[in-house]
Amino acid sequence: MLKGFFHLLKKDFRLMVSGKFFLLALASLLLYSCYINFVYVNLDQDIYPVCLYDPQSKQPLISEYVTKVDTREALETACSDRYSIGFDLSGESPELYMLSSGSDVTDHYRSIWGETVLAGNTDGQARLIGTNNKEMKNRREITAEFLFFELSAVGFLGLASMLFKEKQMGVIRVHGILPVSKSMFILSKLFLLFISDLTFAALLTVLNVGLSHGLAVLPAVLVHAGILSLIMALIGFFCAVRLPNFKQFSLVYLALAVFVTTPVFIAGQIGVAWDWIVYHPMYHLFMAMKSAYFAAPSAGTIYYLISFGAIALLFLLAHRTLTIEITKEG
Amino acid sequence: MKGLKYQLKNIRRDKMCILTFLLPIIAGIAIHLLSGVNLQTVSEASFGILKNDLSQEASLWLKANGNLTQYETPEELYAAINDPSTQIIGVLKTDNGIRTLLSGDELTLNKVIADTLPQAYTGRTEKSPYTRTIIPVSENADGLTSLLIVITLVTAMFMGATFNAMNIIGEKEDGVAFINRILPMTAKSYIIQKITLGFMGSAASALITSLICMQIKPSQLIPFLLLIILSAYISALTGLFIGHLSEGLMTGIVYIKILMILFLAPPILFYLTIPPQSPLFNLSYLLPSSATFYALMDLLNNQPDRLSLNLFILFVHAILWSVTYTLIKNKRPRSRPAATS
Repeated sequence: MLKGFFHLLKKDFRLMVSGKFFLLALASLLLYSCYINFVYVNLDQDIYPVCLYDPQSKQPLISEYVTKVDTREALETACSDRYSIGFDLSGESPELYMLSSGSDVTDHYRSIWGETVLAGNTDGQARLIGTNNKEMKNRREITAEFLFFELSAVGFLGLASMLFKEKQMGVIRVHGILPVSKSMFILSKLFLLFISDLTFAALLTVLNVGLSHGLAVLPAVLVHAGILSLIMALIGFFCAVRLPNFKQFSLVYLALAVFVTTPVFIAGQIGVAWDWIVYHPMYHLFMAMKSAYFAAPSAGTIYYLISFGAIALLFLLAHRTLTIEITKEG
Repeated sequence: MKGLKYQLKNIRRDKMCILTFLLPIIAGIAIHLLSGVNLQTVSEASFGILKNDLSQEASLWLKANGNLTQYETPEELYAAINDPSTQIIGVLKTDNGIRTLLSGDELTLNKVIADTLPQAYTGRTEKSPYTRTIIPVSENADGLTSLLIVITLVTAMFMGATFNAMNIIGEKEDGVAFINRILPMTAKSYIIQKITLGFMGSAASALITSLICMQIKPSQLIPFLLLIILSAYISALTGLFIGHLSEGLMTGIVYIKILMILFLAPPILFYLTIPPQSPLFNLSYLLPSSATFYALMDLLNNQPDRLSLNLFILFVHAILWSVTYTLIKNKRPRSRPAATS
């Protein structure tokens, strides 16, 4: 029994190697890490710049937020980004000049900000109550998102491409007469994907969150990565056995990537509040992953119970579908 | 022409290909429905206050400057401030004004707002010495919506790549590619047919999407059409490249994934973060989608000064990639028999 399982593992491993599965995972890892380390970490939005046109030097005090310009035209050009605030002190009555940003509320604040800067009242300090700085937050946030995307969309595809290859070679047909149980057939694939997903998760975390912070959150991250990996692999297995060819499968994949994961990202990233999002099962998986990265207390026992229940159910479903498919193949 | 008819017949059965064109249209409808709903508030500052803490006047002042959310307990307020997906600034009462709380992971914009808010609040009663001139902007004022529209349109224009790549890889897998070799059809007419297919699909998808979520003035019509034509052509050509390079559907999908990220992410980032004068910005023109992206953004914002430059860059890309593809395609038949024999 164990020997049979071992042989299955070896076969699946070879299949993954020949399907360039590991190479693709490595390429994704590099691509994501480069993006995070060179681009995402540096993303920021600066405060509204204040431009000052003051030929007679009426304004004595120049704060760090002020840029001086020499002509009225330069002032208007600088303000054309609908972000900067301009002050023209050349005329009789001083003028605040800006282009609307499109939101009255933001415009109101911008004018208040501009006047505060010119009055020189910019030396306050808010009390900080969090533990992350901006860079650390960016790193944790984007790593959680990439891992979620990679596991849910790409892992799903990896298993399916493997299975379709086997289907083409007639492995499922042959399997009907082999003395290996169907559970073994599913388990060996699950096990390999599980291990490779966990390795991917660990590498991605350590590379992008940093060694000390990464190792601190790694146990929790691995738990959620494991749950997600099992669920997605089983769904992938089910779809791949059920659907006749890879093309139809990619349709399902596309729908999954666009309509299932996108709302989750929007809700998780921008904080747009939709009431219905709580009924979206992937949302809970994503939030659990995210809170693991932020070392926040994640959902309680109910979450784990439902997750493991779902895994067990999906396994039964995959098993049943495989049985039906083998019977069909004769 | 007859060949094209067969090509069209071929894709009619291919649901995947049809779906690739429908996706941007669906996204366009979604944006159209979404626009005006809450997207603008994302760019506004967010303040969180405690129930029964601030005076009526202070909360009204905050409301005039951003989104205001009220929390029942300090714990809830602290949790909201610390939530990494929000940029909420906590505002509490002091003896003679307000004080602010931050998590510390906010953007510089919100950090500065929080740092200076108490002083701005103190100064609220002084009469402003400035006459305020706030120039209203023309339509499509919502920055985030126009960004979404442009992203969808660029995706639509470059869907031809996905479409052609899928189509060609499918032919490779079904063995149609081999049959094509013995059919009395030249490589040239094959390429022309495929490019026309992808081109028509991209152009149609982009046109429908733009009709749904964009208002184009008559004066902008010609540059806009030119933009669609050039981009759709380049995208169809890119699809041929991917189809040519990838062996199976799996590698094809990976190539498409990388291509989509490459075509969409850099222009957005460069557009948002780097001023157009810097040399780094010019570097982004190495990707054809950048020119499309900037041109569309300029069209939406009614700033047509760089439009002809962008169109010219697209034109150069079109020529360059056509030549490269012809070179690759001509080279292959000579090396192929040697490798297989």
